Formats: sequence, structure tokens, C-alpha cells
Amino acid sequence: MNDLDYLKLTGFSKLAYKLGHFFRGIPKGFAGFLKGVGRFFVKLFVGIGSEIKDVCQTFVQGDWKTKMSYLVMGFGSFARGQWGRGLLFFLFQTIFNIYMFMPNAEFSGCYYLGKLSTLGTVATYREGRKTVYGDNSFFILLYGVLTLFFILAFIYTWRMNVKQNKLSEQILKSGKKLKSTKDDLKSLADEQFHKTLLALPTLGVTIFTILPILFMILVAFTNFDATHQPPSKLFTWVGWDNFHQLLSSDSASYGGTFGQVLLWTLIWAFFATFLNYFLGMMVAIMINKKGIKLKKMWRTILVMTIAIPQFVSLLYVSKMFAADGLINTYLMQWGWISSPIPFWTDPVWARVTVIVINVWIGIPYLMLIATGILMNIPADLYESARIDGANAFQMYKKITLPYMLFVTGPYLLTSFTGNINNFNVIFLLSGGKPLSLELSGNAGYTDLLITWLYKMTVSDTNYKLAAVMGILVFLVCAVINLIVYNMIPSVKNEEDFQ
Amino acid sequence: MKKVLALVMVLAMALSMASFAAAEEGNAPYSGDVKIWVAEAAVEFTQKMVEEFKALYPEYAGANYIVQPVGEGDAANNVIVDVEGAADIFGFAQDQLARLVAADALMDVNPDLVEEVKAANDPGSVAAVTLGDTMYAYPMTSDNGYFLYYDKSVVSDPSTLEGILADCEKAGKNLYFEINSGWYQTAFFFGAGCTLTYDTDDAGNLVGINCDYASENGLKALKAMIETAKSPAFANGSSVSAATNIGAIVDGTWDATSAKEAFGDNYAATKLPTVAGFQLGGFGGFKMMGVKPQEDEAKMVLCDLLAYFLTSEEVQIARYEAVKWGPSNLNAQKDEAVQADEALSALASQLAFAVPQGQYPNEYWSLATGLGDDVLADKLDDADDATLMATLQTFQDTAASYVK
Repeated sequence: MNDLDYLKLTGFSKLAYKLGHFFRGIPKGFAGFLKGVGRFFVKLFVGIGSEIKDVCQTFVQGDWKTKMSYLVMGFGSFARGQWGRGLLFFLFQTIFNIYMFMPNAEFSGCYYLGKLSTLGTVATYREGRKTVYGDNSFFILLYGVLTLFFILAFIYTWRMNVKQNKLSEQILKSGKKLKSTKDDLKSLADEQFHKTLLALPTLGVTIFTILPILFMILVAFTNFDATHQPPSKLFTWVGWDNFHQLLSSDSASYGGTFGQVLLWTLIWAFFATFLNYFLGMMVAIMINKKGIKLKKMWRTILVMTIAIPQFVSLLYVSKMFAADGLINTYLMQWGWISSPIPFWTDPVWARVTVIVINVWIGIPYLMLIATGILMNIPADLYESARIDGANAFQMYKKITLPYMLFVTGPYLLTSFTGNINNFNVIFLLSGGKPLSLELSGNAGYTDLLITWLYKMTVSDTNYKLAAVMGILVFLVCAVINLIVYNMIPSVKNEEDFQ
Repeated sequence: MKKVLALVMVLAMALSMASFAAAEEGNAPYSGDVKIWVAEAAVEFTQKMVEEFKALYPEYAGANYIVQPVGEGDAANNVIVDVEGAADIFGFAQDQLARLVAADALMDVNPDLVEEVKAANDPGSVAAVTLGDTMYAYPMTSDNGYFLYYDKSVVSDPSTLEGILADCEKAGKNLYFEINSGWYQTAFFFGAGCTLTYDTDDAGNLVGINCDYASENGLKALKAMIETAKSPAFANGSSVSAATNIGAIVDGTWDATSAKEAFGDNYAATKLPTVAGFQLGGFGGFKMMGVKPQEDEAKMVLCDLLAYFLTSEEVQIARYEAVKWGPSNLNAQKDEAVQADEALSALASQLAFAVPQGQYPNEYWSLATGLGDDVLADKLDDADDATLMATLQTFQDTAASYVK
């Protein structure tokens, strides 16, 4: 189908065509992804092979200084007068050796690495009234992972050390001089300045972000829960059992509940994002309209909800809507209802109530954003539209909305993801309640995946399932983000409004 | 090259220093930190008692006692999450006992003291700290039950729940009863003659269940619950301070002061009413003090002694005077001031119909909340007997599935 054919289609068939196109693209995209993964591994193995070859060649062809460096890192650099580099290499090797082979076995890398495959076998026991703790699975897993990282870093550094020697030999052979330590230091403030700047952040990200994430992913494959709690109890690897328990639908599993919670999470994220978006935009347009008086006052009133800390107002509103809260009490006193409206006890009411209350706290933000953008739309667009005889709705649909969507597309996407993980609103308003016999695992009808995860960790100490849930939440967010990101106008038609 | 050699030597020295083991420990009385967690209201009182302990046992005066406020509901959770950072001695409510034992985060009572503790405290509280044949904690209070507080000007006759609800409706006030809590909910089921208990072994594992909720009696209880929840005067809740428009409330002794404040001169307390012709029952509950496992034997000796002291007769009476917690010690219960307490005597008359609370898995509490929430959501309002029976059967089967 060419562009002209497409433009001839009606609105509905255009949508159908786009959807069809999207779904037809899935197998191809998936195949592409698999191919990419395959290519990556081939490249990886080929790369490792050539590195090993180079290491061997360097050893055979190198002089005694180079050969010595294979054992004592930095030896070659020292011997050739580059003591700065040599010192760093040597220091790293020493620290690594100390960590790996410390005399006090309890703290050495080898100890943790050796126990990593079982996560500990020595149980805690009592000696009279004294308790002697055995292996601590938690630390074994944590330091085991840390040790693996350290070993990778060591291999990389060792490889660099070998490469250094080869380079130095070549430079010396060609009759040039090697860089002195002074030159090295100077270059760190000059052409190598990026390394100086990024060294600390990279280290921080590795230790405080990548390592914990990896640790949590690994917990998903263990039986770390209330009955396997270090330091007294051991936990161990269980493979995919936890995924099975969370996703399969047999009676002891959480499959049905997980489906419920996931569906509600998506429904919630959809309404919380788009209802806020359109209502906020509407409020902004109404206040922006010519002839509206006291614009500043309206805006101030709306922005007041931002001024009060959200957790205070949410807790308060949650009380207001309770069966014995302000709203029900007054409605009953006025005789409008005879029994309290079940805002928090009925599943449907509770879900609608959280969405509506979220609109109340969300509109002011959207109004502020929309006000700024609306003022930026060139007035001549509207003027010419008016001359062409367009009515207010047509102008909104053809000018305001596309402009808004173009500018706020990325914002919409991030707020959708944010709403999938919108812990505050749900936790403070309903706490995930109401529960039901139809749901298992302490989950309630207004629980999002993230609040359910919280309950699992904090009140049930069920870390293994919480870890699985964390992985699944990431998958859900990643898939939605990738698909939508490629569909929003700001990415697709980058030039439209420039 | 010299530099290299120097470095190697420095490193060798560092290594040899690291390999020295820590100094040997002697058998002297423990003198390090001893951390104690108690409810916020009892911190000041506990500090005072620790001073008395030091005076009584001068050999332990050298230890550094730290009293921190951690509520009885949170203590077990915090201990399980981080045993090493947790308090050495902590007060907790009995529903947490099995969990703590299952995580091996609780030391059993010193065998030399077991007989003494058993004889001094009421049988219910002793049963509550015992799993299988092992006693795991020191009974501290015997007041963790619930009964009825009411406003004399609103409720004319507190003997039937139907009557109370009618009075509240007339006055436009609310009756608070937290039927979606596994704790308060048993008032209906146990009152109607049902049982729900778990059997545990010495290690805190559940090995059996005795439950007959899916029966005629269970049906009677569930129907009474549904009828109660239908009344416009009914409100789900159990905290006086969070309640508005309160006419009567099913609550425990810890709220006695706020209830007195809320009702003023019309304050009254009594046993729970009857509903649909049967007397409401429920749990008799207990609070206790536990000691976490210690790697240092000397510290264990001190902790045993301190926990024993903090739950002894004199301290229980002093605790009643300071923070109004009802004692579990038999002699302390006979104390005049304790006997004269209105709330405690209401509780005592209710305890005649209550079952001493045994061990329940953590999942039970959310399961019961699920049942209660279904009632509150009016899902069962128009259900026929067969549907209600099916609901109870689901409840019973799920409760049984926690036994592994």
C-alpha cells in the first residue's frame, strides 16, 4: 500500500491498518532480536579468541621484562621507568591477592566463591545456651557476586598490563621515548580528562546500582523467605521454582492473583495517565480562554494541592472517604443515603475512588505544564483556522492536540511508567485493600504490582517472590516503553514542529 | 627495583598483622551493650526497671543498657529482617511467636527457670509462649483480649449486639467492630462454637490444623457477621482515636484511657454481647518478652536474667501502675489496684468465653482479612446457604493449605 492509498482510508481502517502493520511486524522484530543476540555471542567468542591469541603471541615474542609482567603485574612498566603505571598495576594485583587469599578464610574471596554454588552448608547450632552461627547465605551470595565482579576486573586489568608491555616494546623498538609518570599525570588532566571525571561515577554505579540489581535478580532463583532467614537458617538455589509459583495457576500458586493485579495495574496506569492529561489540559484551556476573569486566582487555588505534602493530603483524604468519614457522615445526616457508600470496602468503588482522587492531585501539575505549552502555540494558526471556518473542537483536534502531544509525548510515556509504579497514591489511600478470599498472597483489589511487592517484602518477608515480581515489573515497563517510545510523534516526526 | 622491594615488604607486614586473631574472651560478667525493645509507652518505665535491676545485681551494673521504642507489632518483623542489628530482649505479641521460632530468631527460656515461670503465670499465658514442649518466651501481660466499651447515654442494654446496633442507629452513632481482622473476627466464629487452631512442633513448624468453619456453627457465625455489617450504624474499626461518632466499640485495655476520654462520664466497659442467640467469644491474648540467640554465653546469662526480672511479679505490678498493662503473673493479678480496674474486670469476664490464642501462620491474618473484606464489600449479602458454605469451605481449605 502506498501513501496515497493510505490517505484514502477512513479513520477506522487507518487504525486497523496500523494495528495490523504493528502485529505483522512482531515476528520480524523478534527474529531480528534473536539474530542480534546470536551475532553478539559470535562476536564475543571471536573477540575472546583473538585476545587469547594476542596474549600468547606477546609472551612468545616479548623480552624478559614482558614475560615477568605476566606474573607480577606492572613489572614491565617499572623496569622501563614508568613507575606510576607500574605502581597502579602492582597495587591492584596486591589488593586482589589479599582479598582472594586472605589468611582469615571467613573474609576471603575464595571462601565466598567456593560456597556460591550451594550458598552455604554449615547449619547454625547451639552449644548449651550459646549459639554458634553457621554459614550466612546472604553474605555468601552478596560477596560471591562481588568476588565475581572483582575477578572480571582483574582479568581486564591483567590484559591491559600485557597490552601495555607490548606497546612499550614497540615504541622503544621504533626509537621513541616512553611517557614518563609526569606525562601520564598531565594527560589525565588533558586528553584523558574524561577518564578522570568518570572514574568515580562508574565505580559508584557499579557498586551501588549494578551489583544490587544483580543480587536481587539472583535472589529470584533462591528460596530466601521467612523460613530460610539468615543468619540462623540457610537458603539455596531453586532454579525457576519461584517463577512457576507466581505465574502458574495451580491452587498453591499465585497465577490468578498475579493476572488480576497486573490487569488492574495497567488499567490504573492508563486512567491515571490519560485522565489526568486530558482533564488537566481542559482546565488549562478553560483558564486560558479570553474573557475568563481572575485567572491567577484559579491557578493559585489549583496549585494549592501541590503545596501540601502529598502524603499528608492523601492520608487525610483516605480518612474522609472511610465508612465513618466526613463524606459519608454528612451525606447520611442530610438524608441523601441511608447507609455509608463503601468507598474503600467494595472492590469497584475502591478502584474508582483511587482513580478519581488521583485526578484531583494530578490535574494541577498537568495544568501548569499545559498552560506553558498552550501559550507557545502561534496565535496565527488559530486565526487562519477561524477564517477557514473551523469550529472550536476542530481547532482543538487539528492544532492544540497535535502540538501538545508532540511536546509532551515523552512526558506521557514517563508518567505512564511512573503510574505503573505509583506506590504513594495507592499505598496511602487504600493500602491495596479490599482483600478477598478470591485473591491469594495478601494481595488486594487495588494493589499494584509494586505495592504487592512491598507487602511481600515488609510484612511477609517473602523475598524470593518479591524478587521475581521486581523482574516482572521491569519486563512490563520495558516492553511498554519500547513499543510506545517508537510510536510517539516526538520520535517519529521529529521535524514537524521545528 | 628498590621501590618494588620496599612495597613487597610493607605488604608482607600488613598481611602478618591481619592474621593475628582477636583477643581471647574471659568468663567475666558481660559488660557490653544490651539492647531492649519495648512499646513506646513503656520506654520510661523500662528504663526505671533497668536501674532497679542494676541495683539488685551489681555484678551486671557495668553493662550498657539501651532501651528503644519499638511497638510489639513491629518487633518480630524487625528482628526477623535483621537478627544481628535487632534488640537482645524484646516485647512482642504472641501471634508472632511461631514466626520468630521458625526463623530461629528466639532463644528458648533458660531450662533452670522454666518450672518457676510456669508456676507463676496463668495457664493461658504459659500455653501462649510454648511450642510443642519448649517454652520460648517470658509471659509479660495477660490483657491482650477485647471486650466492649460503650456510651451509657447511647446504649441502654449492652447484652445483645442487635440491641446495641438499634440504640446506635437511633442515636445516629456508630458501633465499631473490626470484623476484617483475623483477631476480632474470631469473636463470631469461636462464639458460635467453631474452632480454628494450628498444631506446631518444637521448631515452630505447623504440623496440623483443627478447623471446622465449614459447618452449621460456622454458617451461623458468618450470617451474624453479614447481618451486623448490614446495619448503617456499623463501622469497621478498633481504634478509639481513629473513630468518629462513636457509640460503642469492641477494643482492648490499651485503649482504656482514650475510651474514658471519648465517653467522659458515660464511660462503661463490659463483656461482649450476644448475637443471634449466642455469646460472642474470641481470643484471650498475651504479650511476652523474648531473648534472641547470643553468640556470647556471658551475654546470654545476663539476658536470661534480665528478661526474667522484667516479667517478674513485682515488675508486672509496677508495670500495671505505670502503663496499665494487665499482669499475667497470678499473684500480680490478685493485686488490689488490678482487681479494681474497670477495663480489666470487663476483660476478665470476657475471658471466660475466650480461647487462649495459640499459634497462627502469618498468612492466616490476611486470609481472615480477605473473608472480612468480602463481607464488608457486600459480596455475600444475598448469598444462599450453599454459597456461604462454599465460601467457608474455601476459607477452611486455604487455612489448611498453610500446613506443609
